[in-house]
Amino acid sequence: MADVLSVGVNLEAFAQAISAIQALRSSVSRVFDCLKDGMRNKETLEGREKAFIAHFQDNLHSVNRDLNELERLSNLVGKPSENHPLHNSGLLSLDPVQDKTPLYSQLLQAYKWSNKLQYHAGLASGLLNQQSLKRSANQMGVSAKRRPKAQPTTLVLPPQYVDDVISRIDRMFPEMSIHLSRPNGTSAMLLLDIWSKSNYQVFQKVTDHATTALLHYQLPQMPDVVVRSFMTWLRSYIKLFQAPCQRCGKFLQDGLPPTWRDFRTLEAFHDTCRQ
Amino acid sequence: MGVTCVSQMPVAEGKSVQQTVELLTRKLEMLGAEKQGTFCVDCETYHTAASTLGSQGQPGKLMYVMHNSEYPLSCFALFENGPCLTADTNFDVLMVKLKGFFQSAKASKIETRGTRYQYCDFLVKVGTVTMGPSARGISVEVEYGPCVVASDCWSLLLEFLQSFLGSHTPGAPAVFGNRHDAVYGPADTMVQYMELFNKIRKQQQVPVAGIR
Repeated sequence: MADVLSVGVNLEAFAQAISAIQALRSSVSRVFDCLKDGMRNKETLEGREKAFIAHFQDNLHSVNRDLNELERLSNLVGKPSENHPLHNSGLLSLDPVQDKTPLYSQLLQAYKWSNKLQYHAGLASGLLNQQSLKRSANQMGVSAKRRPKAQPTTLVLPPQYVDDVISRIDRMFPEMSIHLSRPNGTSAMLLLDIWSKSNYQVFQKVTDHATTALLHYQLPQMPDVVVRSFMTWLRSYIKLFQAPCQRCGKFLQDGLPPTWRDFRTLEAFHDTCRQ
Repeated sequence: MGVTCVSQMPVAEGKSVQQTVELLTRKLEMLGAEKQGTFCVDCETYHTAASTLGSQGQPGKLMYVMHNSEYPLSCFALFENGPCLTADTNFDVLMVKLKGFFQSAKASKIETRGTRYQYCDFLVKVGTVTMGPSARGISVEVEYGPCVVASDCWSLLLEFLQSFLGSHTPGAPAVFGNRHDAVYGPADTMVQYMELFNKIRKQQQVPVAGIR
């Protein structure tokens, strides 16, 4: 670090300062050696005391001398850390060219911004980790929301509550059979769909859209609303083959019926007509 | 197995059966359909033997025994307006044993052969209906795989049929009406073929005799 800082600074003074620091350290350690050794090797108590004090004084003097030397050198070296808070980029501010002078303040601004961004990103990632919104195409049930993986504190609900919500949804949609199972003790799963890919292009499309919908419907505070609105959306597929596209008015486009259902209005659209 | 509609395509004026079929398949290929081998549906007529008729005093009923290459291990036995039996292909052997009750009508075999096309989830089969040596007409079968309830997807099927049959688009098959909201099955397709064959049998020979 010192090398980086000293570029463009008095290098010689630096080298001297370093050796001064070494001298200071050795003199300080001599002081402590002297204190550690204490008074010995002298005949009389008086002589011992005298010799010790003289020795101690010498040592302290040399410490003082080294310290003064270091102080003098440090003035020579200058204070790079104050002048260049952003390391070498601080030199930009020294550039005498007119149109480059605002560059440094802009740089500082950007640095502050990125710092702030990092801080907020850290906060956000902490929050998101807590909610555990990890979902993939395979989790075709509503299972993702109900899986207390890594203990998402806000999503752990009493099983009684889950049962209640599911049975209410079950009663809401008599056309769909909803099966609730608990394969691993407390985590409940909803069986809505099979896991294998359909042979038919229509259903492959619908599966894709359902995965999108799973990501769309999320409201960590009210998980029951999420499940219910997703089921309402899914139910709109009951008229998959009967509803013409709301935009082009036709049933088929490239051999496929309207596979997209609007998230809010539940209207049918072809995949390409929905934009 | 999805909902299927079987219809007859009239032979274009001034064209042979063969040419009309080619016209139709070219249209399908332009639409983007892919060729997927061939298909064959055949039908043989049996009538109740004279010996069993007298005692019951009722007119003999016709029974049709059919095969469909889409269901190679099955054999379908149907009465007109009556029940349809789906059995193993061994049923043919049984019919030989039942000679005393059911007799095969002579030269009654009628069949349709042609190419099978796939377009997205639609299966289209365009076939030439032949009876003996002569071509009698053209059959068009359209199956929509994903749906099993006929009333749900009829309008969708109709739109597809219109896209390549144009003005010759048929009305809803009678079997659709019989089984409202019920699941469509292979037997329903066979009933449609039986009706188509009966219709073609009653028709005059095609004036411009198609040569196979």
